[in-house]
Amino acid sequence: MARYVPAGLVALLLLGPFLALFVRWLTGPDNLSLMAFINRSTLLLVGKSLLLSGTVALLASFLGTVCGFLFYRLKLTGKGFYKLALLLPLLVPPYIYAVAWRDGFQWLSGNSAVSSPEAGMIIVHTLVYFPLAMLITGTALSQIHSGLEEAGLMRVSFAGMLAKIVLPLIRPALTISFLLILIISLSDFSVPAFFGVNTFTTEIFTQFSAFYNHQLAIGQSFLLVLLCLTLLLSENRYLSDAPFFSVHVKGSKTKHYPVNKGRTFLHILLWIFLSIVLVLPVVMLFHQALSGREIFFSRAWDLLGPTIFQSAKLAFSGALLISFTGLWVGYMKERYRFPHLNTMFLLTFIIPSTVLGVAIIKFYNHPGANFIYTSITILLIAYVARFGFIAARIIGNGIKQLPGSLEEAARVIGIPPVKRFFSISIPLLLPSLFTAFVLSFVLCLGELGTTIMIYPPGTELMPVKIFTIGANAPLALTSSMTLISFGVTLFIILIFFLAAKIIFNRFRYD
Amino acid sequence: MTKISLENITHHYGDKKVLDKFSCSFEEAKISCLIGPSGCGKTTILRLIAGLELPTKGIIKIDKMIATENEELLLPPHKRNTGFVFQELALWPHFTVYRNIAFGLQDREGEKSSHRVNQMLDLFGMSDKAKSYPHQLSGGQKQMVAIARSLVHRPEIFLMDEPMANIDVKVKENILEHIKYLHKKYRFTMLYVTHDHREALQMGDKILVMNKGAIEASGTKEELKNTDNPFVRSFFIL
Repeated sequence: MARYVPAGLVALLLLGPFLALFVRWLTGPDNLSLMAFINRSTLLLVGKSLLLSGTVALLASFLGTVCGFLFYRLKLTGKGFYKLALLLPLLVPPYIYAVAWRDGFQWLSGNSAVSSPEAGMIIVHTLVYFPLAMLITGTALSQIHSGLEEAGLMRVSFAGMLAKIVLPLIRPALTISFLLILIISLSDFSVPAFFGVNTFTTEIFTQFSAFYNHQLAIGQSFLLVLLCLTLLLSENRYLSDAPFFSVHVKGSKTKHYPVNKGRTFLHILLWIFLSIVLVLPVVMLFHQALSGREIFFSRAWDLLGPTIFQSAKLAFSGALLISFTGLWVGYMKERYRFPHLNTMFLLTFIIPSTVLGVAIIKFYNHPGANFIYTSITILLIAYVARFGFIAARIIGNGIKQLPGSLEEAARVIGIPPVKRFFSISIPLLLPSLFTAFVLSFVLCLGELGTTIMIYPPGTELMPVKIFTIGANAPLALTSSMTLISFGVTLFIILIFFLAAKIIFNRFRYD
Repeated sequence: MTKISLENITHHYGDKKVLDKFSCSFEEAKISCLIGPSGCGKTTILRLIAGLELPTKGIIKIDKMIATENEELLLPPHKRNTGFVFQELALWPHFTVYRNIAFGLQDREGEKSSHRVNQMLDLFGMSDKAKSYPHQLSGGQKQMVAIARSLVHRPEIFLMDEPMANIDVKVKENILEHIKYLHKKYRFTMLYVTHDHREALQMGDKILVMNKGAIEASGTKEELKNTDNPFVRSFFIL
């Protein structure tokens, strides 16, 4: 009973809006034409969204796997630096990259409209999400016992061993990284919106917010959710128990291969890649910000300044709440064999951002729930629904790696459960908790799709401000605002890492 | 000291039945060695006695008191006065050697705890390692800390689950001699699980040979050496 009551409450708050939306759609005034939205243009849009996100998932998984192998399995000088540097795109909200690359494209085409916004979307999503694939495949690669590879090397060449032994062994990780990136890319609103690409997510937003065609928007929402659900169910066995990325990888029995020939060439390639991923976006932003007739930094600061503290405060609260939720969900799944919460968060995770926005507006916009609808609580609910699953998987994976005997050893000598939890489990889970917290913070800070639909009056947030100002302002102003937002994000992350260093040193044991 | 008895214990892991109407008793203040192939149920018996698992059916008595009846835990693990050395040792990696041994003791013993911990460190020759973390110790030293951590609570029942699995022969000999000395000193009822017949012959006052969730044979080492049971003979390479 103790586990069902809070689980039921969370289900009501998070899944309730979506179920209510479904019922409302079925029983709405236009219920005779429920399927009217399924026409040629909708199906073409579905195909286009799938093609774009599928390409992103494929490219990002490929890049991530190559980087995973280079940094987790080779004896490569400076691999720690490369790994850390290439993780940065994951810690920067995607809209910043979108503005940077849009600027880059416009710069190349003499400041006319971007000729191929789809290519821009693919590039940005690939660069932002490949670190996720790198972490997931890297973790899987670190868990392959050296004996399996050495036995393979007795029979076939190195390349043959990689193809016939290593790749099949990390297939679940490849599948989960492909699916995860596909779903995140399908669900993202900010990048296609900044590039002006019409995808399913932006179309739902347009129908709902611009044309007030709620019935059509809701119908399309269900089609999109159905699409994600089908993807998910087809590979459910991979997603439910497949390895997620680990903060601490027990890879002591893993073989690390030396790099003899082509070491210099590899380093040159990696520096070029690093420049494309990290340096080029900043250069493009600076170029666009400084290319206008006037310098906009001061105006950009005036516009963005009031939003910074509010955005950071909200993202911090969201990340805290998400991390607590992730800890709870992870514990219930790994230690108490109660996977239903995890499944529920998986469901809310696959609901695309704008669909979630529509559902939340419809569910909470009535007098009884006004205290939620008009406060930042509504944003916190949305953030937990959107990102709770990722935090639960990171922390759950950390819990899974803690041998149960560590807690049992304390139980045998009579340590009470609460003390066991805070003395044994929490200190050992700190790296996972910190990773989940920082990732959640960044995701909340950059969330646009749901936020733009539901942010309460009086709330001003960075991505929303940049998006709304960007629609009618000179490019140089948007770029200046984006640069400030980029700087602020990096500054906050730096503070987190410094704080973490102090805290981890207190619990340091290896 | 304490006598342990298991009566008609049936236990499942999911669909797999690991013990079927298993009955057995372990004499007080003696060392009983449970030996048998992997998956025969040895570890499960230790975990049932410690109260870390609940049987599907059956009764576990500790000192004539019913500790577990079917799926009901009547006596929680920490009230069974048990010391448990896990196969993977389960030393808390974020605690020093001192804190690993002292953890839980401070609450009960107050200031006396430091005396008890230092006594244990001396007994195991680990005083100079008090401030070290588990990863800074050798395999044998980790073993010593795990045993010290269990014995500092002065248990009446001492359970060891294949603790020598990854220790080299010379260190193993030393530790086994040390355990025998400690047993003589403290007279606890000890259950020692192993799959190495040499360890069982060296340690056990009584040896129980298990196979597929049941006891195939039991007795002193002399009795087992003279058995006709083919499984036991093959196991001991007689």
